[in-house]
Amino acid sequence: MVRALDGITIAFDKSQFSAIMGPSGSGKSTLLHCLAGLDRLTSGTVHIGDVELGSLNDRQLTMLRRVRVGFIFQSFNLVPTLSALDNIVLPLTIAGKKPDAAALAEVVRITGLGDRLKHRPNQLSGGQQQRVAAARALASQPEIIFADEPTGNLDSRASTDLLDFLRHAVTELGQTIIMVTHDPLAAAHADRVVFLADGRVVSEMHGPTADSVLDVMRHLGD
Amino acid sequence: MFGISLRSLLSHKLRLALTTIAVILGVSFVAGTFILTDTINATFTSIFATANAGVAVTVHGRPIAGDSGGIGGGQNHPIPTSLLSTVRKVDGVKDAVGNIFREGATLIGHDGKPIGGNGPPTFGANWITDTNISPYHLRRGTPPQGPTDVVIDAGTATKNGLVVGDSLPIVFLGGVEEHFTITGIAGYGSSDNLAGATIALFTESTANRVLEAQNKYDSILVSAQSGVTDVVLRERLAAALPSYAVAETGQQAAAAAEQSTESTISTFIGTPLLVFAFISLFVGSFLIINTFNILVAQRTRELALLRALGATRAQVMTSVLVEAAVTGLVASILGFFVGILIARALLSVFGSASTGGVTLVPRTFIVAVLVGTIVTVIAATLPARRATRIAPVAALAEALPETQPLPRRRIAVGLIIFVLGCAALVTGLFTSAGSKLQLIGAGFLGVFLGVALLAPLLVVPVATVLGWPVAHSRGAAGILAGQNARRNPRRTALTAAALMIGLALVTCVAVLTDSVRVSTNDAIEGAFRADFIVFTQGPDFNTQAAQALQHDPSLRDVTEVRGTSVLIRGSSQGIAAIDPANLGSVLALSMVSGTASAIATTNTAIVDSTEATASNVHLGQLVTFNFPQGGSVPVRIGGIYTANALVSGYVVSLATMEPNVPTARDAIVLANAANGVSPSQAEKALHQDVKAFPLLMAMSRSEYRAFVGSSLDSFLNLIYTLLAFAIIIAVLGIANTLILSVLERTREIGLLRALGMTRSQTRSMVRWESVIISLLGAVLGLSVGLGLGVAVSGSLHDLGITEIAVPGTNLILYAIIAGVFGVVAAIFPTIRASRVDILRAITTE
Repeated sequence: MVRALDGITIAFDKSQFSAIMGPSGSGKSTLLHCLAGLDRLTSGTVHIGDVELGSLNDRQLTMLRRVRVGFIFQSFNLVPTLSALDNIVLPLTIAGKKPDAAALAEVVRITGLGDRLKHRPNQLSGGQQQRVAAARALASQPEIIFADEPTGNLDSRASTDLLDFLRHAVTELGQTIIMVTHDPLAAAHADRVVFLADGRVVSEMHGPTADSVLDVMRHLGD
Repeated sequence: MFGISLRSLLSHKLRLALTTIAVILGVSFVAGTFILTDTINATFTSIFATANAGVAVTVHGRPIAGDSGGIGGGQNHPIPTSLLSTVRKVDGVKDAVGNIFREGATLIGHDGKPIGGNGPPTFGANWITDTNISPYHLRRGTPPQGPTDVVIDAGTATKNGLVVGDSLPIVFLGGVEEHFTITGIAGYGSSDNLAGATIALFTESTANRVLEAQNKYDSILVSAQSGVTDVVLRERLAAALPSYAVAETGQQAAAAAEQSTESTISTFIGTPLLVFAFISLFVGSFLIINTFNILVAQRTRELALLRALGATRAQVMTSVLVEAAVTGLVASILGFFVGILIARALLSVFGSASTGGVTLVPRTFIVAVLVGTIVTVIAATLPARRATRIAPVAALAEALPETQPLPRRRIAVGLIIFVLGCAALVTGLFTSAGSKLQLIGAGFLGVFLGVALLAPLLVVPVATVLGWPVAHSRGAAGILAGQNARRNPRRTALTAAALMIGLALVTCVAVLTDSVRVSTNDAIEGAFRADFIVFTQGPDFNTQAAQALQHDPSLRDVTEVRGTSVLIRGSSQGIAAIDPANLGSVLALSMVSGTASAIATTNTAIVDSTEATASNVHLGQLVTFNFPQGGSVPVRIGGIYTANALVSGYVVSLATMEPNVPTARDAIVLANAANGVSPSQAEKALHQDVKAFPLLMAMSRSEYRAFVGSSLDSFLNLIYTLLAFAIIIAVLGIANTLILSVLERTREIGLLRALGMTRSQTRSMVRWESVIISLLGAVLGLSVGLGLGVAVSGSLHDLGITEIAVPGTNLILYAIIAGVFGVVAAIFPTIRASRVDILRAITTE
């Protein structure tokens, strides 16, 4: 059996933008999936707030994802049959809740998607699709958003837009975001960067810049 | 390329599973039908061959012209007993025996009920003492010797627990029970039984009396002296016989009997079953098209890669078709074996005296395999053509291409096929040409194909309407269910169209039977005034019942309606005879011209208007009735009436018929309650009287109406059963589409789960998509079926379907059942969808 994660103890602060970095196979995606309740640990515990994820059954985990967690994936992952707006409110619809009009308007405003809301995903550019995904993550006002390589499929301009948007959500709205990335430029937008190698935390950095992140990565022999 | 097809096939085993099952079901129906009819035919062939083993030549009356054959059907001139001595004198004849063999001896079982019910024929015959000639081989006991002795066939004895020494009540020609004692049990030829019919054997004089043979034989069986061949003896006999008799060798007789049985079996069993088998295959082909379309769509990138690497369009097409051919071949072979099981099951249902084995001929296997493979390959042709249109550049494309809007050409083709189908149907329904049935069949096919081609246009509007309540009651799952049903209109349409066909046919038949029911209700109400009717579901009965009722003081106007057939202008026609004195009090004839009471004058007839028009007969004309056993009687037409539920064709008085018909047979007996007797008292008395006649039923007018209606229900049930295969295949088709869609949308389902959709919401989403597809099929099926039903019923106006009725409750029931089918079809796909591994779904790629 391969140990994807090995004796990690780590906490992420509320209203902080954290990045997890590391070379391929370092376990960063596995860590994110375990934190988000998509994957289960063989031993150890994960807490979101005061909830221990290992104690939850499938249905309770689903409810946790529905209410307390938001996701942004690398490959956008929008539902092709729904309009941008319907995609944004999808988690609320699934939960059988009405979106809060003011909060929704705010999310739409800061994503700059106002005139694209009626469009289907295949009528939007990659950057726009990812902003829809980001808006979807924010719209349900979750306690925490997990972003898995959110800029992986975007060009540099769209990447910058999205990262500015995430930064904004943390600073202005007090959102908590944990992002997995291998892009030092993306990591530089975070408050804190945690470096992983071979399933262990090997380093961390507060107030990172692209250069300082790149330095550490070089040392990890990427 | 062949290797690629095979590898693709193996990796898609699950995806092709339901397609394979659909082909297996369709093919097994075809194979089962052939095996069933072959087995029945083989049973008869061996029976006829062994039964005729000792018979060199059979002498029987010439068939009465115009009368068609069939088992026990064709009516022959009777043979006077005096002919036996003529035959015996012919040189080369070793022995000759008279043979009485006719329907009308019903055995009453230990439970007091007629053995065989209304099923197989009940034959009575004389015991033939010459064991060399006799087809009856005594197995136990002794031959009949006294007037109350009977020998019965071994099959009936075993099945009903009858043994030598038992007392056996027998009813002759619908009369009262007579009591016999079983003296022996005999086989027929080498078999136990004449394929399920019962045979009761009496002494010649008893047979002559109980079967009302009038001292005539039905045939004379002749054996030859050694050294005289059958053919030579036949020629010598032919020369010695009067013109009304013919001689056939035993072989000829067996062959003729065999041929007439075979054509009867193919007309009444083979052809109808084959029609339904092909409906199943037709429905199955929709499923095949869908499967291969989806497989091609999923393999777009792979096929594009092949193209980019230099594969030609033809090679791509071949790779898809080879996959289809192998699937079809394997499924057909399996279908053949399932067909054997189906044939066995049907044989045991028919209760036929099959010897246990089934008859398998190479033809059955070849037809089954060819039909299954060809249908599969043809159905896969459209998807294969689509595969050839995949551009090599698609190998590099990011996502699967979205489905394009329906091309105009396809809409045009769909419309043309639909219109041509309607035209063929209407022409077929209203023509009297020989190609009537072919035109109607082509019409149905055209309508179904046309609607299937146009159906994608209806998917979005109909699914939107059907999806609305679902979206508003089932939240996100409901909204997504509706969206998913609409997202690929062609796929949804084809899936729904498969269900449409079965439902349309069911609806069509339901409309037809309901129209018949309403029309006959009215017709029965309008046809007779009598309070009571006595009838049977078997052949016409003797006059014992009418005589008994005439003596009952609770009844009056007891009136026989007798039937017989006569030759009119060379063709055989059934005619009815009735006592003119009671005509007005029991029947309600509406006259077009002349009067009904005209028949009171001997040799005067009234005829119904349809028959009058068809054979160009008018009031006052003389028409010659040739009675087979009587004279040629010129009959004057004294009136023309409108045919009704009880009476049609020519009607004469009893006095006109009686002198020309040696044996009186009643078709029905009508009666009224006597004056001063309440209807319920009279009915009680009537039932008491009729109890003595186990084959007869007595009913009040309203009971009779309900009875006729209920016999339509059993017809409708038969159609339901026959269409079950087509509907099961359509439901499999829905499951198939859903499973393939779920596999295709694994990623999306994983995302929804990650966003907080519970397993039960996921299941609900797939289930409601299934229900929407099924209801779409129901909407299409009920609409098309209504149209077809109204058209078919309308075309039968001349046959008495004067009103077209729409069975509303049935249609609502069908729609509900379709919805339930949707839920059932979704069972496996929902399990599959709810088990999607979230992580793998969203991280792979």
